[in-house]
Amino acid sequence: MQNIFRRFLNKLLGKDKKLKIGLYGHPNSGKTTLANTMTNDWIGKPLGLSSEIPHETRKVYRQEHVSINHNGVELDFDIIDTPGIATKIDYKNFLRFGLSEAEAKERAKEATKGIIEAIKWLDDVTGVILVVDATKDPLTQANITIIGNLEARKIPFVIVANKIDIPEATPERITAVFPQHTVVPISALHGENTENLYEAMIKRFH
Amino acid sequence: MNGLKMDFLSSDALLAHTSMEKIAMIVDKVKGGNLVIIEGGLIPEEEAELIETTMREIDIENFVGIDIYTLEKDKKSLFGISKKKAVGLTIIGPANTMKTVKKKSNFISMIANLGDSGASLH
Repeated sequence: MQNIFRRFLNKLLGKDKKLKIGLYGHPNSGKTTLANTMTNDWIGKPLGLSSEIPHETRKVYRQEHVSINHNGVELDFDIIDTPGIATKIDYKNFLRFGLSEAEAKERAKEATKGIIEAIKWLDDVTGVILVVDATKDPLTQANITIIGNLEARKIPFVIVANKIDIPEATPERITAVFPQHTVVPISALHGENTENLYEAMIKRFH
Repeated sequence: MNGLKMDFLSSDALLAHTSMEKIAMIVDKVKGGNLVIIEGGLIPEEEAELIETTMREIDIENFVGIDIYTLEKDKKSLFGISKKKAVGLTIIGPANTMKTVKKKSNFISMIANLGDSGASLH
Protein backbone atom coordinates (compact mmCIF):
# COMPACT_ATOMS: atom_id res chain seq x y z
CA MET A 1 0.00 0.00 0.00
CA GLN A 2 2.81 2.40 0.93
CA ASN A 3 4.65 1.57 -2.28
CA ILE A 4 1.57 2.45 -4.29
CA PHE A 5 1.30 5.79 -2.47
CA ARG A 6 5.00 6.46 -3.02
CA ARG A 7 4.75 5.71 -6.73
CA PHE A 8 1.67 7.90 -6.92
CA LEU A 9 3.52 10.79 -5.26
CA ASN A 10 6.67 10.32 -7.32
CA LYS A 11 4.63 10.34 -10.49
CA LEU A 12 2.92 13.57 -9.51
CA LEU A 13 5.99 15.35 -8.23
CA GLY A 14 8.58 14.19 -10.72
CA LYS A 15 12.26 14.30 -9.81
CA ASP A 16 12.91 18.02 -10.10
CA LYS A 17 9.46 19.46 -9.37
CA LYS A 18 9.14 21.04 -5.97
CA LEU A 19 6.18 21.96 -3.90
CA LYS A 20 6.39 25.39 -2.32
CA ILE A 21 4.26 25.55 0.76
CA GLY A 22 3.28 28.97 2.13
CA LEU A 23 2.28 29.52 5.73
CA TYR A 24 -0.34 32.25 5.88
CA GLY A 25 -2.50 33.60 8.65
CA HIS A 26 -3.05 36.42 11.13
CA PRO A 27 -0.22 37.88 13.17
CA ASN A 28 0.43 35.67 16.22
CA SER A 29 -1.70 32.83 14.88
CA GLY A 30 1.29 30.53 15.30
CA LYS A 31 2.77 30.31 11.80
CA THR A 32 6.40 30.38 12.88
CA THR A 33 5.74 27.99 15.77
CA LEU A 34 4.14 25.57 13.31
CA ALA A 35 7.02 25.95 10.83
CA ASN A 36 9.45 25.25 13.66
CA THR A 37 7.48 22.18 14.76
CA MET A 38 7.36 20.87 11.19
CA THR A 39 11.03 21.37 10.43
CA ASN A 40 11.97 19.98 13.85
CA ASP A 41 9.87 16.89 13.10
CA TRP A 42 11.28 16.48 9.62
CA ILE A 43 14.87 17.68 9.60
CA GLY A 44 15.60 18.16 13.27
CA LYS A 45 16.17 21.91 13.28
CA PRO A 46 13.96 24.97 13.73
CA LEU A 47 13.11 27.35 10.88
CA GLY A 48 12.85 30.71 12.60
CA LEU A 49 12.12 32.46 15.85
CA SER A 50 8.72 33.02 17.37
CA SER A 51 7.84 36.08 19.38
CA GLU A 52 5.00 37.55 21.43
CA ILE A 53 5.23 40.76 19.38
CA PRO A 54 2.97 40.65 16.30
CA HIS A 55 4.73 40.99 12.94
CA GLU A 56 8.00 39.63 14.34
CA THR A 57 8.28 37.62 11.16
CA ARG A 58 8.97 40.60 8.98
CA LYS A 59 10.77 38.95 6.15
CA VAL A 60 10.14 35.79 4.25
CA TYR A 61 12.21 32.92 5.57
CA ARG A 62 12.72 29.94 3.34
CA GLN A 63 13.91 26.50 4.20
CA GLU A 64 14.73 24.56 1.08
CA HIS A 65 14.91 20.80 0.63
CA VAL A 66 12.67 19.99 3.55
CA SER A 67 11.67 16.36 3.46
CA ILE A 68 8.65 14.75 5.09
CA ASN A 69 9.00 11.11 5.95
CA HIS A 70 5.54 9.90 6.65
CA ASN A 71 4.90 6.17 7.01
CA GLY A 72 7.73 5.49 4.60
CA VAL A 73 6.54 8.06 2.06
CA GLU A 74 8.99 10.89 1.42
CA LEU A 75 7.76 14.23 0.19
CA ASP A 76 10.26 17.01 -0.55
CA PHE A 77 9.18 20.62 -0.51
CA ASP A 78 10.04 24.15 0.57
CA ILE A 79 8.48 25.88 3.52
CA ILE A 80 7.93 29.60 3.12
CA ASP A 81 7.11 31.29 6.38
CA THR A 82 5.44 34.59 5.61
CA PRO A 83 4.42 37.52 7.75
CA GLY A 84 0.85 37.89 8.85
CA ILE A 85 -1.56 39.58 6.48
CA ALA A 86 -3.48 42.51 7.88
CA THR A 87 -5.33 45.48 6.41
CA LYS A 88 -3.93 47.98 8.90
CA ILE A 89 -0.73 48.63 10.84
CA ASP A 90 -0.87 51.06 13.75
CA TYR A 91 2.50 51.61 15.37
CA LYS A 92 0.74 52.42 18.68
CA ASN A 93 -0.15 48.72 18.98
CA PHE A 94 3.57 47.94 19.18
CA LEU A 95 4.08 50.35 22.09
CA ARG A 96 2.24 47.89 24.35
CA PHE A 97 5.12 45.47 23.95
CA GLY A 98 7.62 47.85 25.50
CA LEU A 99 9.09 49.24 22.28
CA SER A 100 10.06 52.90 22.11
CA GLU A 101 8.04 55.12 19.76
CA ALA A 102 10.87 55.19 17.21
CA GLU A 103 11.24 51.39 17.36
CA ALA A 104 7.49 50.91 17.08
CA LYS A 105 7.32 53.15 13.99
CA GLU A 106 10.23 51.32 12.40
CA ARG A 107 8.58 47.98 13.18
CA ALA A 108 5.31 49.20 11.65
CA LYS A 109 7.09 50.29 8.45
CA GLU A 110 8.79 46.90 8.15
CA ALA A 111 5.47 45.15 8.80
CA THR A 112 3.87 46.92 5.81
CA LYS A 113 6.71 45.66 3.59
CA GLY A 114 6.31 42.16 5.00
CA ILE A 115 2.62 42.14 4.10
CA ILE A 116 3.38 43.19 0.51
CA GLU A 117 5.91 40.34 0.31
CA ALA A 118 3.38 37.86 1.70
CA ILE A 119 0.85 38.81 -0.98
CA LYS A 120 3.50 38.52 -3.70
CA TRP A 121 4.31 35.00 -2.53
CA LEU A 122 0.76 33.94 -3.39
CA ASP A 123 1.85 33.98 -7.03
CA ASP A 124 4.65 31.55 -6.33
CA VAL A 125 3.30 28.88 -3.97
CA THR A 126 1.85 25.54 -4.89
CA GLY A 127 0.18 24.89 -1.56
CA VAL A 128 -0.77 26.96 1.48
CA ILE A 129 -1.34 26.24 5.14
CA LEU A 130 -3.69 28.87 6.52
CA VAL A 131 -3.04 29.10 10.24
CA VAL A 132 -6.05 30.27 12.26
CA ASP A 133 -5.98 30.91 16.02
CA ALA A 134 -8.79 28.68 17.36
CA THR A 135 -9.31 30.97 20.35
CA LYS A 136 -10.37 33.87 18.09
CA ASP A 137 -13.13 34.64 15.60
CA PRO A 138 -12.06 32.96 12.35
CA LEU A 139 -14.38 34.98 10.11
CA THR A 140 -12.08 37.94 9.57
CA GLN A 141 -11.66 39.91 6.38
CA ALA A 142 -7.99 38.85 6.10
CA ASN A 143 -8.92 35.15 6.27
CA ILE A 144 -11.77 35.64 3.79
CA THR A 145 -9.40 37.54 1.47
CA ILE A 146 -6.72 34.84 1.65
CA ILE A 147 -9.19 31.99 1.09
CA GLY A 148 -10.85 33.89 -1.78
CA ASN A 149 -7.47 34.42 -3.43
CA LEU A 150 -6.41 30.81 -2.96
CA GLU A 151 -9.69 29.62 -4.49
CA ALA A 152 -9.44 32.06 -7.40
CA ARG A 153 -5.85 31.01 -8.14
CA LYS A 154 -6.70 27.32 -7.61
CA ILE A 155 -3.96 26.92 -5.00
CA PRO A 156 -4.61 23.90 -2.73
CA PHE A 157 -4.69 24.71 0.95
CA VAL A 158 -5.28 23.26 4.40
CA ILE A 159 -6.72 25.34 7.24
CA VAL A 160 -5.06 24.72 10.57
CA ALA A 161 -7.13 25.40 13.71
CA ASN A 162 -4.17 26.16 15.96
CA LYS A 163 -3.78 26.54 19.74
CA ILE A 164 -6.17 23.70 20.71
CA ASP A 165 -4.08 23.31 23.88
CA ILE A 166 -5.72 26.51 25.20
CA PRO A 167 -9.02 25.75 27.04
CA GLU A 168 -10.92 28.57 25.24
CA ALA A 169 -10.08 27.13 21.82
CA THR A 170 -13.11 26.24 19.70
CA PRO A 171 -11.77 24.56 16.53
CA GLU A 172 -15.31 23.43 15.67
CA ARG A 173 -16.18 27.09 15.02
CA ILE A 174 -13.54 27.16 12.25
CA THR A 175 -14.94 23.95 10.74
CA ALA A 176 -18.43 25.48 10.91
CA VAL A 177 -17.52 28.66 9.02
CA PHE A 178 -15.36 26.90 6.39
CA PRO A 179 -17.31 23.63 5.86
CA GLN A 180 -16.12 23.22 2.27
CA HIS A 181 -12.42 23.20 3.24
CA THR A 182 -10.06 20.83 5.05
CA VAL A 183 -9.69 22.00 8.66
CA VAL A 184 -7.19 20.26 10.95
CA PRO A 185 -7.20 21.14 14.67
CA ILE A 186 -3.68 21.12 16.12
CA SER A 187 -1.42 22.56 18.79
CA ALA A 188 1.72 23.69 16.98
CA LEU A 189 3.33 24.49 20.33
CA HIS A 190 2.94 20.95 21.73
CA GLY A 191 3.00 19.08 18.43
CA GLU A 192 -0.53 17.78 19.11
CA ASN A 193 -2.37 16.27 16.10
CA THR A 194 0.39 17.32 13.69
CA GLU A 195 0.30 13.80 12.21
CA ASN A 196 -3.23 14.59 11.00
CA LEU A 197 -1.96 17.79 9.41
CA TYR A 198 0.84 15.95 7.57
CA GLU A 199 -1.69 13.44 6.27
CA ALA A 200 -3.97 16.26 5.07
CA MET A 201 -0.99 17.98 3.39
CA ILE A 202 -0.03 14.83 1.52
CA LYS A 203 -3.64 14.47 0.38
CA ARG A 204 -4.10 18.09 -0.67
CA PHE A 205 -0.62 18.99 -1.94
CA HIS A 206 0.10 15.97 -4.09
CA MET B 1 -15.66 71.41 9.49
CA ASN B 2 -15.12 68.09 11.16
CA GLY B 3 -17.35 65.79 9.14
CA LEU B 4 -17.41 62.34 7.66
CA LYS B 5 -17.78 62.10 3.91
CA MET B 6 -19.37 58.95 2.58
CA ASP B 7 -19.19 57.98 -1.06
CA PHE B 8 -21.72 55.46 -2.37
CA LEU B 9 -20.68 53.77 -5.59
CA SER B 10 -23.08 51.68 -7.64
CA SER B 11 -21.88 48.50 -9.30
CA ASP B 12 -22.57 50.16 -12.67
CA ALA B 13 -20.30 53.07 -11.80
CA LEU B 14 -17.48 50.64 -11.01
CA LEU B 15 -17.94 48.57 -14.16
CA ALA B 16 -16.51 51.39 -16.23
CA HIS B 17 -13.18 51.17 -14.37
CA THR B 18 -10.34 48.69 -14.52
CA SER B 19 -9.27 46.93 -11.31
CA MET B 20 -6.28 49.24 -10.95
CA GLU B 21 -8.46 52.32 -11.36
CA LYS B 22 -10.96 51.00 -8.82
CA ILE B 23 -8.25 50.31 -6.24
CA ALA B 24 -6.54 53.67 -6.82
CA MET B 25 -9.87 55.46 -6.44
CA ILE B 26 -10.81 53.60 -3.25
CA VAL B 27 -7.42 54.09 -1.59
CA ASP B 28 -7.37 57.76 -2.59
CA LYS B 29 -10.79 58.37 -1.05
CA VAL B 30 -10.12 56.36 2.11
CA LYS B 31 -6.71 57.93 2.65
CA GLY B 32 -8.47 61.28 2.46
CA GLY B 33 -10.61 60.19 5.43
CA ASN B 34 -13.70 59.18 3.47
CA LEU B 35 -15.86 56.13 3.84
CA VAL B 36 -16.52 54.25 0.62
CA ILE B 37 -19.62 52.11 0.26
CA ILE B 38 -19.70 49.89 -2.79
CA GLU B 39 -22.66 48.03 -4.20
CA GLY B 40 -21.40 44.46 -4.52
CA GLY B 41 -17.85 43.47 -3.77
CA LEU B 42 -14.34 43.28 -5.09
CA ILE B 43 -12.98 40.11 -6.64
CA PRO B 44 -10.34 38.31 -4.51
CA GLU B 45 -7.45 39.55 -6.68
CA GLU B 46 -8.70 43.12 -6.25
CA GLU B 47 -8.89 42.63 -2.47
CA ALA B 48 -5.27 41.46 -2.44
CA GLU B 49 -4.31 44.43 -4.61
CA LEU B 50 -6.23 46.74 -2.27
CA ILE B 51 -4.31 45.44 0.76
CA GLU B 52 -1.01 45.74 -1.11
CA THR B 53 -1.72 49.30 -2.24
CA THR B 54 -2.88 50.21 1.27
CA MET B 55 0.40 48.91 2.73
CA ARG B 56 2.34 51.11 0.32
CA GLU B 57 0.26 54.16 1.29
CA ILE B 58 0.50 53.74 5.07
CA ASP B 59 2.45 56.69 6.41
CA ILE B 60 2.51 55.54 10.07
CA GLU B 61 1.37 58.92 11.45
CA ASN B 62 -1.86 59.79 9.64
CA PHE B 63 -2.96 56.79 7.62
CA VAL B 64 -2.66 53.44 9.41
CA GLY B 65 -4.60 51.34 6.96
CA ILE B 66 -8.14 50.34 6.14
CA ASP B 67 -11.01 48.35 7.53
CA ILE B 68 -13.22 46.38 5.18
CA TYR B 69 -16.66 45.03 6.03
CA THR B 70 -19.08 43.22 3.80
CA LEU B 71 -22.76 42.41 3.94
CA GLU B 72 -23.71 39.24 2.13
CA LYS B 73 -26.90 38.19 0.41
CA ASP B 74 -28.11 34.89 -0.99
CA LYS B 75 -27.00 34.29 -4.53
CA LYS B 76 -29.85 33.69 -6.92
CA SER B 77 -29.62 30.46 -8.85
CA LEU B 78 -31.49 28.99 -11.80
CA PHE B 79 -33.96 27.12 -9.61
CA GLY B 80 -34.22 29.77 -6.96
CA ILE B 81 -32.46 27.62 -4.38
CA SER B 82 -28.90 28.40 -3.49
CA LYS B 83 -26.63 28.04 -0.48
CA LYS B 84 -24.06 30.35 -1.98
CA LYS B 85 -23.62 33.89 -0.74
CA ALA B 86 -22.74 36.95 -2.74
CA VAL B 87 -21.41 40.23 -1.43
CA GLY B 88 -24.22 42.78 -1.45
CA LEU B 89 -22.41 45.74 0.07
CA THR B 90 -18.78 46.53 0.84
CA ILE B 91 -17.78 49.23 3.28
CA ILE B 92 -14.19 50.43 3.25
CA GLY B 93 -12.90 53.13 5.55
CA PRO B 94 -9.80 54.44 7.30
CA ALA B 95 -8.87 52.13 10.19
CA ASN B 96 -8.37 55.02 12.60
CA THR B 97 -11.86 56.37 11.89
CA MET B 98 -13.93 53.18 12.05
CA LYS B 99 -13.77 52.62 15.77
CA THR B 100 -16.66 50.42 16.79
CA VAL B 101 -18.21 47.98 14.43
CA LYS B 102 -20.88 45.45 15.25
CA LYS B 103 -21.53 42.95 12.54
CA LYS B 104 -24.25 40.38 12.10
CA SER B 105 -25.10 38.48 8.95
CA ASN B 106 -27.51 41.18 7.74
CA PHE B 107 -26.56 44.19 9.82
CA ILE B 108 -23.53 46.40 10.35
CA SER B 109 -23.31 49.16 12.91
CA MET B 110 -20.36 51.48 13.26
CA ILE B 111 -19.24 54.57 15.09
CA ALA B 112 -16.84 56.80 13.25
CA ASN B 113 -14.31 58.62 15.36
CA LEU B 114 -13.96 62.21 14.17
CA GLY B 115 -11.55 63.64 16.65
CA ASP B 116 -13.53 65.18 19.49
CA SER B 117 -16.92 64.53 18.01
CA GLY B 118 -18.48 61.28 16.89
CA ALA B 119 -20.87 60.10 14.25
CA SER B 120 -22.78 56.89 14.15
CA LEU B 121 -23.86 54.98 11.12
CA HIS B 122 -26.26 52.03 11.05
